[in-house]
Order: sequence, then C-alpha cells, then structure tokens
Amino acid sequence: MTEFADMRTVYGETLIKIGEENPNVVVVGADTTDSLKTKPFGKKFPNRFFNVGIAEGNLVTIAAGLANEGKIPFASTYAAFLPGRCVDQIRNAIAYPTRNGKNGLNVKMVVSHGGLSVGADGGSHQQIEDIAIMRAIPNIKVLIPADAVAVAKLTQLISQLYGPFYMRMTRSKVPIIHSQEQEFQLGKGIVLRDGSDCTIAACGITVQMALDAADALKQEGISCRVIDMFSIKPMDSDLLEKAARETGGIVTCEEHNIMAGFGSAVSEVISEKYPIYMRRIGVRDQFGESARDSEIPLLLEKHGMTSIHISNAVKDIRSKKQ
Amino acid sequence: MGLNYYHILKRVREARKLVIKGTTAAGSGHPGGSFSMAEIMGCAYSKFLHYDPKNPLWQDRDRLVLSKGHASPGLFSNLAVAGYFDKPEMETLRKFGSRLQGHPDFKCPGVEFCGGSLGLGLSFSIGMALAARIDRKTHHIYTIIGDGESDEGQVWEAAMAGSKFKLDNLTVFLDRNFIQQDDYTERVMPLDEELVGDDISEMWKNAARWKVGDKWRAFGWNVIEIDGHRIEQVVKAIHSALQTRGTPSLIVARTIKGKSVEHMEDNPKWHGVAPNPKISPIIELELDCQFLIAPSIIAGDMANLENEVKRASHGRADFIHLDVMDGQFVPNKTFDHEKIKQLRPITQIPFDTHLMINEPVKHVRDYVNAGSDIVTVHAEVCDESSFGEIHDILRSNEIGLGLAINPDTELTSWSEKFIPDLDQLIIMSVIPGKSGQKYIESTHEKTQRISKFLAERNFQGLIEADGGVDLSNVESCFLDGARVFVGGSAIIGQKDVRLTIMEFRKHLMHARRKLLINKAHSLGGTELVTKWIDLHEVGKKKTELLQIAKEAGFT
Repeated sequence: MTEFADMRTVYGETLIKIGEENPNVVVVGADTTDSLKTKPFGKKFPNRFFNVGIAEGNLVTIAAGLANEGKIPFASTYAAFLPGRCVDQIRNAIAYPTRNGKNGLNVKMVVSHGGLSVGADGGSHQQIEDIAIMRAIPNIKVLIPADAVAVAKLTQLISQLYGPFYMRMTRSKVPIIHSQEQEFQLGKGIVLRDGSDCTIAACGITVQMALDAADALKQEGISCRVIDMFSIKPMDSDLLEKAARETGGIVTCEEHNIMAGFGSAVSEVISEKYPIYMRRIGVRDQFGESARDSEIPLLLEKHGMTSIHISNAVKDIRSKKQ
Repeated sequence: MGLNYYHILKRVREARKLVIKGTTAAGSGHPGGSFSMAEIMGCAYSKFLHYDPKNPLWQDRDRLVLSKGHASPGLFSNLAVAGYFDKPEMETLRKFGSRLQGHPDFKCPGVEFCGGSLGLGLSFSIGMALAARIDRKTHHIYTIIGDGESDEGQVWEAAMAGSKFKLDNLTVFLDRNFIQQDDYTERVMPLDEELVGDDISEMWKNAARWKVGDKWRAFGWNVIEIDGHRIEQVVKAIHSALQTRGTPSLIVARTIKGKSVEHMEDNPKWHGVAPNPKISPIIELELDCQFLIAPSIIAGDMANLENEVKRASHGRADFIHLDVMDGQFVPNKTFDHEKIKQLRPITQIPFDTHLMINEPVKHVRDYVNAGSDIVTVHAEVCDESSFGEIHDILRSNEIGLGLAINPDTELTSWSEKFIPDLDQLIIMSVIPGKSGQKYIESTHEKTQRISKFLAERNFQGLIEADGGVDLSNVESCFLDGARVFVGGSAIIGQKDVRLTIMEFRKHLMHARRKLLINKAHSLGGTELVTKWIDLHEVGKKKTELLQIAKEAGFT
C-alpha cells in the first residue's frame, strides 16, 4: 500500500523544529495560516509570527524588511497569490537588493496549492505560471518537492542556505516517494530508477506519475530512467546531460504550463549541452477548471497529464530515434 | 537644545546644490521631488538619525527608507553631505559603473532600501520595525513616501499593518507636494479632494480641503500636519513622533515640488527632468540667494510683546528677532532672557536673539536656556577668548552663532578665524539702541565690501541687515549681499504684518530675479537670459521676468 502524507502539515511541523533551533526564523502569513499549517508556529513563538491579512504584496515586502534585518522569514500563502499577485514586490523588494556579495534578501516563499490539483476552487486558483515567473527573476531559487519527506528536508535546507527561495507544495495529500534517509542537495536531481532507453524528468506530483509510467513501460521491455528534479533552479544540468547522453531521449513532466516552465528549462539545458529528442508533459497553454478531489485525475487527464500520456511520449521519442 | 537651524539650513542648501550637480551631469533624474523633501531629509540626517558613515551597517543605526525612490538624488546628496562618500561622486549619478544608480540601491553605502517600484517602502519599513522589536532594539525607522505614490494600494495595506502592530518605532513622512508625473495629484487621483481650476496653490490656502491626514487618522496613525519646508516644524514633528507610544506616526509635510528654484516650483514638468548644464550655474546661485524675514518685536507694543510675537508668527516670519538691550552697551533697556522664556511657548518660529549687552559671555547661557535658536553678540564687547567660549557654548547646545558689528565698526582681526564657523553676521545700519531710525546709506557699500571679504574666507552663514530696513531699501540690501532682513517699524510697526511680510518677499524676489538675470547675461548673453526666462512657465513669473530683462536692456 502506498503511504500518503500532507505536505503542509509536515511544513508546519518542520518550521517549529527550525524555529526552536534558530531564533531568527520568523513566519509571515496572509490569512491562510490555518491552511498553510503555520498557526502552531505562531502559538509557540507569538512574537515571531505575523499575520498581515489578505495582502500578499504587503506579505512579501514585510518579509523582505525582516530579512534585511537578519531574520529568516518564511512567507506563506497560496501559489495563486504568491507569486501570482506580487511579482513586482518579489522582484524589487526580495530578489534585487544585493549587498556584500549576498544576492537578494533571505526570504523563503513557501506556497501551497500549486498546479491543477487544487481542484474544486477552479481555474482562478490553479497556479500554472509560477515556475515561469519565479525562475525568470535573477537570484531566486525554485524548488518543487514531490512528497512530504522532500518538504521536510527542503524546508530545513532553505532555512540554512542564504538567499531568496520559492518552494511550491500541493494541496492534497501525496504519496511518499523518498525514504527518510534520502539526501537533498540544492541543484542536484535524484535518480529514482535507473534506465537506458529514455529519461523521465519530473517534479512535484508528476514524479509519482513518472514512476508509474516507468513501471508500465518496463512491462513492455522499455527501460526508463526517472529523475526527481525538485531543484528547478538551479538545475542539475550535469545529471541531465548525462541522462541525454546515456538514454538518448527525455520526457519532462510538470503541473504547470509547458510554456516557460520546467520542461522549457530542461530544453534550454539539453539544446545547448547535448541535443536529443524531448517531449514535454504539462498544461498545454490553457487554464484549468473545477474538479472535486475524486475528479482531479479526470482534470489532469483532460490536460494530458497522466502516466499513460508520459508512456506515450516515451514511445514517441523511441520511434523518432529509430 | 536649540533647533540647530543654521546647521540644517546650510546642509539642506548644500544637498540641493549636489542634486543639481548630479542630475545635470547625468542629463536625467528627478530634481523636483528631491527638492520638495529637502528640508525633511536635512532635518533627519542633520539632527535625528544616528549613523556612522564609516560603518554603514552598524546594527544600532536608525534607518531611513526612501520609498519614493525616484527622488534618489535627494537621498544621495544627503548621504554625501553626511560623509558616506565624497561629494564629487554625485556627478557619477546614473552613469555606467556608478554606485549612484537611478534609484536607491545597496550599491551606495547608507542606502537602506532599494527603491524604485512605488508603494513598497512602507511595507519594507514595517518588516524592519518588527525585526527591531523582536531584537528589543531601540533604533528608529524613518520612511518617506510620496503623495503620487499613495495611489498604490499597498501603501494602505501597510498603513493597516503599521497600526495593527503598533509600531511606535516607525515614523513616516508623506511628502505632500501635490504633483505626480502626469499632473497635479488632485487631478490624477485626489488625496485631499478634486482640484477645480488650475491653481494648485488654492489647495494650500484652505486647510478645510485637506483630507489625507484624516485618512491616516482613520487608519489609526498618530498624524502630524506641517509645512514641510519649515525646519522648525519638521524638527518639532519628529520630536513629537519620537515621543509617541503605541502607534506609528505619519507626518503630512505639505511641500512644493522643486522648492527653492522658481522655475521648478509647482511645475509638473520638473518631476523628472534634469537641468540644462548652461542653466545650472544660475540655479546654484538661486539656491545661494534664499532670503529670510526677521521681524523685530521691540518696534511694537513693549507692554504686550506676546502679541507682537503672535503677529509675527501669523505673518509667517522666518525668524522672530529679539533685541536685548541692557542700558549699558546701548543707552536703552528692552528685556532679558526671562522675557524670552515667557515668549518661547507662543511660537515654533526660531528666536533670533540679538544681544546688545556688555560682557555677553557671562550671560549667553541664560539666553540658551531661554530658548534662543540663534544668539548674536557684538564684536565690540568680545575678544577672541570670550567669543571662542560663546562659540563653544552655542555649538554644544545646537544654537546658531552670530556676530554683530555697529555702523562705525569693522570686522575685527580676531574674528577672522571664526568666519567659516559663523552662522550669521549682523551688519548694523543704524546706531543700536532704539527702533525707528533711518538706514545709514554708507552701509550699502560696507555690506558689499564685507560680503565679498566673507565669500573669500569660506563664510557659510548669512548676512543679516538690521536697522532702518524697509520696502524702499530692502532690494538694495539684498543686492549688497544680505540674506536675512530685520524689520522693526517697517514690519511690526505696520498694521497688517502678514501683508507687509508678503510685500517684503515680493521685493526680495524681484531683487533676486534681477541678480539671476544679470548672472544669466554674464554667462550667455541675451540668448541665455531668454532661455532661462522661458523656463518660468507657472503663473505670472515669466511676464515679470521679461519686464526686468527689458529694464536691464537684455531683450
């Protein structure tokens, strides 16, 4: 039986842990602290917790001011509003300020409800542009964890690394993929399955789809390498180049518009380092729509985002290669 | 502690000149908004902010966030004056490789916030203030926002947050200059109320139309409303903000965009345009030619000096001139420090105390304690040692240092070493002792001579013309080199002090225009005169200037 865990719960628990270890860690919320599970941090550290109301621009800019004074603010709300609503504030108040060789201010933007899998709230709340927005801003690092283990480890990691980070979580519970012993390094992908016929590079909830696709393809005698590319920026270009060289094809998967997202980022690396056939699985430049939890697979299917679509893409590449 | 009025005044003037130097060299930039906040910045950096230019990131420093970042020349110039970098660096403004970017940037030491995108600085400041509270630090955060900037919704998000978090370690200035990039604020997006007609000065005149303070009050802030070009008002407002507990303060500083340069004042065109290099020397001279009116209250009812102070204050005098006579140095007796102490609470306007007394060194402390902002003593009753002592007493109390000479006295040789330190030199144009005497004509020549002498000796202060100055000779006094004008019977002796002071200012403005037209002509002939006059687009300035040029034969 696959075990599921909630990313936000783990995020909130981890914040308390690092808050105990480091008095400079502070948390800023925007009327979603219950949902983001940061409220317990506020209970525990009331003078290091600030709820600014439904004001996302204010949220990230106050976080920038706190970071300027040596605090390590975690600013959290839903992905639709951060970065959706406050690109300018993130760019000018967080990413741009640079002094003494420290690029950008030390703000950790951790959001939930990324991608189509938000479901019932509908297209307005399904953030499918955040990778594009955030990776285009200099100094910002972008992470998309695939499971709750990754969330815990990455929350720890970004609290220790200097600089502005954007980390996107998923609303619903997701299957556990990584072992508790798994190490996470910034800019390093994690090879979950080795294979020689094709590579599937995925992030977030699509990592599980990639694994399912690899399992299915294995039945057909096709050997796939599966990489969890949780570190969208910086990207593990060495690992991608190696995969291109050794498997001759890459399929990327993301819960995001295929324009300027994760797949585009991989293409940028591959086209310069070792051009090979690629296919991108993701939202094909359309908005999402409402779907109840049980219907989310249907929504993803409508947008071409299932393990079957991934398998077909792998086969398509193989046919091109031959 | 005194206002340190002259100290601030000099630094404000120097900073304004650096703004002109920087934007002229850059060929672009925003002088208008730099000048509207010049006195605010000057007061902050000269009197209130704790900082160490050698250690810009000193943890306990006060922070100043310039949220209206396009006014960066106004910030950089103050950082240069404060000693963060050498003043000539101002000329690298906006150039490739410069630390002085088009908008405030951490590249420049002393900058606390990378401004540019409007509406962010107040939120950023709130973050800073919250961090200070967590760390139990006592430093203060000062933020300057613009009125055009207040169109940004985030300003009001921050206004709510500042109030919610009760940030009494935060003081915000609203530089209310009534002009934004496109037009007058009240036309683009009214903060007070919609402007009907074309005359923005209408908005200045009627306080009943000012609504922006009420907006901030409704958000729970401690609101203080002032004339943002009056140093004494800015200083008092900051003092009051620093004493406020449990709520952040917002100081609505009513200002004039482009203040101090006539053709820039209140002209929306000067929001974001740099001066022409040929015009800049004229502007610099204009900045050196600001003038101050100091009504002398002894010309009024000696039995009710309180009322005379009120009249001068209502007349919007720049200084209240207080003639202290002891019956020994001069035959008359007027009042002493006890009276000044009684008068002090009536007005914030600086007290310009002129001691016509023997042995001033023995009494100067009394006048410090009574609330003087400038104390002037007579050269005839001082020597190097006693004046040195007076200098030290006044400086340590942040009070202006003045020296006065009688009509039959010249600057003494011992006083020369004090010239760079002098804030004010009073050249008496009547025999001191009583009010209502006639101006001694030879003083014109004397003032011209001394003015030149002082200029060659790094004099940074102002010459005050005192005695028999009236509307018939005030222009000549200005052209002699005087910049502060004491008016006894000519002002206080008049029925309507306010109108009279306005009339004085009109005359002085006329004299200054003459001086500047002459300067333009000497620099670039009639072509430059015409070019400079053409810049004066607002109101009737241009017609009046053309008339002066015509009289001078420059058209």
